[in-house]
Parts: sequence; structure tokens; C-alpha cells
Amino acid sequence: MNPDQALAGRRILLVEDDFIIADDVAAAFGSAGAEVVGPAATPRKALELIKQTERLDGAMLDINLQGDLVYAVVDALQARGVPVIFASGYDRSAIPERYADIPFCEKPVDRARCAKDLFR
Amino acid sequence: MPSDDPADVLLKQQKVLADFGSVALQSEDLDAVLTEACRLVGEALGTERAKVLEIEAGGQSLLVRAGVGWAPDVVGHVHLPMDEHSSETYAIKAGEPVITQDIRTETRFGLPDFLTDAGVVALVNVPIVLPGQRAYGLLQLDDTVPRDFDQHDIEFLRTYAIILGPVIDRLHKVAALRTSEERFRLTVETATDYAILTTDNEDRIIDWLPGAEAVFGWSAQEAIGQPAAILFTPEDREAGRPEWENETARREGHAPNVRWHLRKDGARVFIEGSVWRLHDAQGEPRGFLKIGQDVTERREADERLRTLMQNIPQLIWRARDTGDWIWASPQWLDFTGQSQEQSRGQGWLDVVHPDDRARARVAWFEAREHGGLDVEFRVRRAKDGAWLWHQTRAHPMLDSGNGHVEWLGTTNEVHVLKELQERQAVMVNELQHRTRNLIGVVSSIATQIMAHTGPTDAFREEFHQRLAALSRVQDLLSRAEQEPVTLRALLQLELDAMGATKGDGIRLDGPTVRIRPTIVQILALVLHELTTNARKYGALSDGGGRLGVEWQVRQDKGGRWLLIEWREEDLLPSAQGASTIRQGGGYGRRLIERALPFTLDAQTTYVVEPTEIRCTIDLPLDRPGQDGRHAG
Repeated sequence: MNPDQALAGRRILLVEDDFIIADDVAAAFGSAGAEVVGPAATPRKALELIKQTERLDGAMLDINLQGDLVYAVVDALQARGVPVIFASGYDRSAIPERYADIPFCEKPVDRARCAKDLFR
Repeated sequence: MPSDDPADVLLKQQKVLADFGSVALQSEDLDAVLTEACRLVGEALGTERAKVLEIEAGGQSLLVRAGVGWAPDVVGHVHLPMDEHSSETYAIKAGEPVITQDIRTETRFGLPDFLTDAGVVALVNVPIVLPGQRAYGLLQLDDTVPRDFDQHDIEFLRTYAIILGPVIDRLHKVAALRTSEERFRLTVETATDYAILTTDNEDRIIDWLPGAEAVFGWSAQEAIGQPAAILFTPEDREAGRPEWENETARREGHAPNVRWHLRKDGARVFIEGSVWRLHDAQGEPRGFLKIGQDVTERREADERLRTLMQNIPQLIWRARDTGDWIWASPQWLDFTGQSQEQSRGQGWLDVVHPDDRARARVAWFEAREHGGLDVEFRVRRAKDGAWLWHQTRAHPMLDSGNGHVEWLGTTNEVHVLKELQERQAVMVNELQHRTRNLIGVVSSIATQIMAHTGPTDAFREEFHQRLAALSRVQDLLSRAEQEPVTLRALLQLELDAMGATKGDGIRLDGPTVRIRPTIVQILALVLHELTTNARKYGALSDGGGRLGVEWQVRQDKGGRWLLIEWREEDLLPSAQGASTIRQGGGYGRRLIERALPFTLDAQTTYVVEPTEIRCTIDLPLDRPGQDGRHAG
């Protein structure tokens, strides 16, 4: 599937603490026809956004947010049945076992291309 | 019958005195001594009958305390009233021997019935006086035939009675001592954490005090008559420990009894005590006194502690204030191959790597001042001679026993940790190196692409400068562990990169503020944008002007905040119209106005006026840290 088509019309939460990357990815998602919720730089902001947003089709999450780990956000999203993908400079092996099934997109590959894994 | 030869009589009487003296000194039984006294004196004077009368409590009567030649119901039974008309009262009052040669001619006093019944016709009363002129009673000699006691007899009896006084007094004191021993016994009976028992010569239990019941569980009824060996563990019985202790006590007077014992319910109690040899009044062995304290609880605590100290992987030791070891745990001895003696004093240094010994000594020297020891050195492993890194820590403790300070320390192998740390340091360096290289490669690729896509010089310059700023900050970050990154250092780094020297109208003013590594990069990029702009169009440009950066830290309820005020003044009005912060896609301005609030929760302002540029950045210094907890 063409990634642009996969993302068109989707509402995607972006959690990323680096502004430069967040800005870039948000722009890429936007041009692919997705609606970006966020970006959020901290778990707290991400959780607020989840609470405030009625419809979420997916979420792309950085793991280490200035030292805070994103897993509380994963739990909140999974509780709502929202598909999640990690995007991180972390090594895959650093992720706790209970989150091991979550798709993983290594920085700094094309995030928009990665995001289609959310909707397979 | 007495000999008529005065010399023989004298010899015999002297022998009697000597015999009595030896009896009196050996025995502690008053009745036995007095009986023997009567027998000897009766024999010496050939009277066959003799007795000792004791003044009873109250001073109104006399008891026949001892005697020979009397019916069984006399000695210990007959009480004589001390009336005025008795020979006894008369003699006591006179303080002199009183002789009655024939009762039928006696006019001074009458005779008690039991004497008349026994056929006594002649008698002599000799007062017995205790030290301090206290009247004790009488020595009385009786004969069934009229008898003329001569002056020799009287002197002999007087002497004899004088000896009797101190002898009786001594035995009284012994008896008093027994009484106090009895009192002691009553006292110990109430001490129930002490087990006290006595046994006979066959080591069968005779006395079983309440403490013994509390400790061993057997009641007195159950215990008395049992061999004391039932209190020993089967192993100790097998090894003959009960007999060994008794034999030792028999030989030495006492023996230690410090071992596990068996309770009635089969449980074990640890007793710290001793076994004592006992004698009867005649000095014959009559079994043992066993006394011990139940210290099971303390013992178990000790053993737990010992188990702990001997099984934890740390090497443990105790030392004096000077670093002189006084004890090393088995683990240390195993690891180093030292003996306990070798490790003592400064001996432990022998197995410390020669290069590390000075450090270890210095650490000890400083430890007293710091109240703690924390030092790393290599220790030689006996098994293979390898020098392994160990971390040693110790704290001073006041020994309550003698008031000396003693140090309890642990020495813990950290070799693997140390190696990992070293490897990690190498890896971090390598990673920083690669990061910087990568930035170089990115820079090169950009240049190559630009070579054929034909971008502007302006793109190239901006791009390279930003990459250079990124690269510089990686350098700072790579050293952040050893050299914390401060705001001043970040500012200086960017100003230096622009070739701006201090004093050229540049003023940096603020306290030393450490910037945590996670926000260094974004802050550095922002400062880079501000500096670049100042270099091109503002206070650092050829047009001139003044740059002042002031910062301060304040405490808020959410933590510490850092307020940075960047101010460029006296600018040429024409120069700053082309500010890159405004132009260049507004990249710098976006970093300040959007990236800082987004990434750091900072509040920022950016104001450009004809002759001045003002930027304020107010950001939280401490990591929020609470973020994730809102999940619940």
C-alpha cells in the first residue's frame, strides 16, 4: 500500500521530545494527508491529549522523553485499542518484554513510511 | 582407770589436749566436736561420763548439747532450768570450776533428777566462755563414786574449757556462714534464668531449683534421682562430656560447662556455666553443684551473625583506628591465602598491589577525619595470583567494652564492574567520535549534493554553521560526566566560534548554573542562532553595539527556574533589519518561540526594535520527573 494512502484521513498522535524531529515528522504526516495530534514532548502532555481527543487512529511514540519513559502512554493507548508504533534511537532489545510486540521504527528512517505499519 | 603417777597423768592430759585440738580444727560439725571433747575428757579423767551444757536462747535454761555415757534420751533432749540452787547456775555465775566431791554431803545445791537416776554422786562444772567473755555453758564431768578432783584435774579442765570457747565460736561462725549460704540459695532459687542443681557422687540429681525447671523443662519431681547426663546432648553423652566435666571438677575444684544441652521437650538450650566439687562436713566429696545460664537467644543471634559474616560474598574485617587489622573474615583468608596472623596489623597491605598501597594508606589517614573509609585497590587472589580490583568501605564504631574506636569494614570485589566502567568509558568516547564524524559526513554529503543541484551559498553557510554548532555541543556533552556543562560555558563556546572576544562590548553576568545534558543541545542551538544573528547583523557585527547576557536562578514551587536575558543595544538602525532570526525561514525564531516552549516548557520572548534586540528565556532547570505519574 502506498504510505500516503495509508495515512490519508488518519488521526495520529505524535509523541517526540526533539522539536526539530517532531516538526519534521508532523510536516511529513501532514503532507501524507494525516491529521497530527500533538506533537507532545512529555508523557504528561501525551496523556492529556489522549484524554482530550475523542478519535485516535494510531500513535507514533518516542520512548525516552528527556529521561521519562513513554510506557504509561502506551498503556493508556492500548486500553483504548489505539494501535501504537515506537520510533526511537533505542535499541530494540532495550524495550521491556510486555511491549515487545509493538512495531518498531528506528530513527532516523522515514517515519511516514514506517507509520503505515500501524494500519496493516 | 587413771594412773596415779602425776607425770603419767600430765602426759596423758597433754595428749588429750593435742588430740582434741586436731579434731576441733578439722571438723565443722559442732555436735561432733563437742561429743569428741566429752569422750576425750572423760577418758583422761577416768570418769566415763561427761557432757556439755549450752545456755539456751533467753538465758533461762540449759540444753544437754553433747555428752558420752548417757541414756539415749538425754543428749539433745534434756533441758535444765537455770535456777539459783543448781550447781550449773552457780558455776556459770562464779566463772570458776565448781567441784562436788560427794553429793550426799553437798549443801550448796541439789542435783537434777537425770543425774541422780544415772547414779552420779561426784561432779565438776567448768564454765565455757566464748571470746568477748560471753558465757556459752558448761563442761560437766560426772562420776558414780565419790571423787576428789585434785588441782591438776581442775587446771586441766580449766585449760580444756578455755580451748573449747574459741572452738565453739569458730563453729558458730561456720554455721552462720552456712545460714548465709542458705540465704544465698533462697536468692538463687528465684533467679529462673539460672539453672542450679546439685548431684551426688554418682552424678544423680539431688537438688533441682526452680531455675533448672524453667531452663530444662523437667519438674523437680521428674529430675531428682535422674543422672545429670540426661541434660546433655546425645553427641556429648557419646563423647563422655558429662564424665569429663565431673572429673575435671573433682580434680581442679571446678570445670567449665559451656555447651548445648537438651531440654525435656527435645529442644536445645545453650548453657554457659560451670560444675563445682562439693564436700560434706567431714571433707569427703559429696557430688557436684552445677550452675549455668541459658544464653540460647544470645548464642543464636551470635551464630546468625557469624553465619552472615562468613557467608556473604564481601570480605569482612575489623581494625583499629590506625588501620591495624585485628580480625579478618574467613573469606579474606580464603581469597588472599593469608593466615589470621598475617592479616593482622598492617599485614593485609602485603596482598594489596604495590602500586595501590600508598593510596590505601592515605585513605586510612583521611578516614579518621572523614569518619569513613572508601577506597579502591587491587587485592591479590591466592588461587592464581591475579590482582583484582576491590572496593573497601569501613565505618568507625565505638566499642562499648573498652571505649576504643573500632572499624568494621568490607572489601568487595569490583573487578568486573571496574572493567565494565572502563569499557563503557571507551565506548562513550567512541560514540562521541562517531557522532562528530557522522555530522562531518552529513556535511560532506550536503556539499556534494549542492555541487550539482546548485543551491545558494546562503544555504551552504547556514547549514554548515548549524552542523558545526551541533558538533561543538557534542564535544561538551561527551565531557559532561567529568565537567558539568554550565550556561557560561555554552555561551562562551558560541561566542568563541564567532571569533568574538570578551571585553569587545560583551558582558556575561550570572551565577554558575549547571545545564542538564538532556537540554544542552536545544539550548546550544538557540544560543547559536542568537550569536550568529548578532555576528551578522547585531552587536557583534561590524556595525557595532553592545551585547549583554544576564541570567539568574530563582526557586519556584515547581523547582528552580533559570531566566536568561539576552540584550543587544546601540545597534545601527539599518543593520538589524535583515536579522536571520526574522529571515532565513525564521528558523532561529522558531527555535526560540516554539522549540523551547515545546521541549522545555520554557517561556520566551523575542523583541526586535530599531536599535536593540531583546530575548528572554525562562526555563525550568530541574527535570520535571513527575510526568509519567499522571498515567494512573
